[in-house]
Amino acid sequence: MAYTIISDLVGEPGTEFIPDEGINIEALIWGGFIKSDKSPSKSAKTEETSPEE
Amino acid sequence: MATSTYLSNPTVTVNSVALTGFAVAATLERTNTAQDTTVFGNTARVYSATIEDNSLTVTLFMTYAASEVYATLATLVGTATTVIVKPTSAAVGATNPNFTLTNTYLETLPVLNATVGELSQIDITFKGGTYTAAIV
Repeated sequence: MAYTIISDLVGEPGTEFIPDEGINIEALIWGGFIKSDKSPSKSAKTEETSPEE
Repeated sequence: MATSTYLSNPTVTVNSVALTGFAVAATLERTNTAQDTTVFGNTARVYSATIEDNSLTVTLFMTYAASEVYATLATLVGTATTVIVKPTSAAVGATNPNFTLTNTYLETLPVLNATVGELSQIDITFKGGTYTAAIV
């Protein structure tokens, strides 16, 4: 999974963040320092069906 | 006799976040706990190395602004991370090693430490972890 730097306290904003060993990614995302580049997953298609009578 | 001194100006990085601009003190202690192995016949205490018990204590100005001190530390409590301190901001080398604790544990975060008329500061201590001193 790829991450992009948001805060200049982590690196150059806009560039890819490559975590070193032992880095807590969730904490960095929670703190707004980086963001995940994962695209949102599509929801399952559903079809409307008429209720049986 | 030649002497060399060092004006304290380290860099402090916690979980990849550069907290140098908030830090006012840092102490990294490398400890190898001693085991007493003295036996009959010895005329002085004898100790042997056991396992390392390192720690890093940092004093920071506390801030709650977006992506600053609180945001860095809040979710690290009760977890292990990597911290790096370096004597100066100069390039890493034999005279300016990257002192690193990997898998070091943050047990306590003072989420509020306020005194009237003073800028809030907090002391945090990272316990344990594997010590390295990279020079490249």
